[in-house]
Amino acid sequence: MKLVRRVLAALTMAGIAAVGIRLGGGGGVPPQHGGWRPLDLPPRNNERE
Amino acid sequence: MTGHKTPAGPKTPAGHDDQTGRTVHVVGRGVVGRRLHRMLGERAVTVHEPRALDLSAICEGDVVVLALGTAHAPLVPSLLERGAHVVTVGDTLDDVRELLALDGFALRRGTTLVVGAAMAPGLSGLIARHLASQLHVVDEIHIAHHGTAGPACARDHHQSLRGWAPGWHDGEWVDSFCGSGRELCWFPEPIGALDCYRARMASPILLQHSFPGVKRVSARRSARRRDRLTARLPMLSPPHQEGGVGALRVELRGGAADGSRQCVIAGIAELVGTTTAATAAAFATMIIDEGLPIGVVVPGDENLPTTELLRRTTSYGVRLQEFTGIPQPS
Repeated sequence: MKLVRRVLAALTMAGIAAVGIRLGGGGGVPPQHGGWRPLDLPPRNNERE
Repeated sequence: MTGHKTPAGPKTPAGHDDQTGRTVHVVGRGVVGRRLHRMLGERAVTVHEPRALDLSAICEGDVVVLALGTAHAPLVPSLLERGAHVVTVGDTLDDVRELLALDGFALRRGTTLVVGAAMAPGLSGLIARHLASQLHVVDEIHIAHHGTAGPACARDHHQSLRGWAPGWHDGEWVDSFCGSGRELCWFPEPIGALDCYRARMASPILLQHSFPGVKRVSARRSARRRDRLTARLPMLSPPHQEGGVGALRVELRGGAADGSRQCVIAGIAELVGTTTAATAAAFATMIIDEGLPIGVVVPGDENLPTTELLRRTTSYGVRLQEFTGIPQPS
């Protein structure tokens, strides 16, 4: 019985901690711009090679 | 370029290019070999069955592209001995080390041996050299890639997740456990973000060869949890005939002229077989049209016409993209 009580107490505390982290952890807004765009190679007449 | 357009099929007749008199020999009939044959359709191309390679058909000055699923190094000395230029697409670590050791042999024969003209290594080195021109000093090169070409490539992918992965770290080689070093890498769309891990690949060796001054070089490949778990077992299911859309991401970190830190990133999202064939085709046609330095040549070397090689690669349909982490004026 003592063991069951301890397990229940541990689960309750873990649940409270999880709820607290979930509600309190505002990750902010991810970037809404940027990303990938085509890479332009220099024209042949500007080549330095 | 006017040359014999060789018909597609199992028995392709040999022909010489009308202008240069030189033939491109493609050894291998897998995904890369077939696609390479199609890309070089305007030129004189002969496709060879690897198991029945007839060396007498190869003349001095010809270009041989090895698109094999097995080791390339055992075949190369006999090809160089005949005066042929060789382009290899393999990325197996031990095979690449043996190929790099053939530098003196190729120099004595006056021929070019391109080591690792695939997607990674290959296009990754060309992109890295292109990005390096935007930095004053390059300190770190990190590449990641996703996807496979044909079944042989898929088997390589499977095997590369077991053993030890080489990485160049502060001036010395450090072997890390394959499957370690998880990093969320963002590839061009439609691939997006994937978890990538260290793997037993030749890319760090070749990038360090091309950029001897950098402090850190690493290479990662995408893998699922199941890939990492079963890497030490035989493949549980036969590989697909061709993987789906793959991707490559090349990241360079270094310093600008004013001393500030900079990070530049570029990549592609394309079928791996198509990208490999396009890179190999770029090198093969470059050797025929304008020539490349003799000896071992590694994509990304400073003395290569990198922009022209990239231009040729993109002419086969590979679209280069650059990462803009913050809004950029278009």
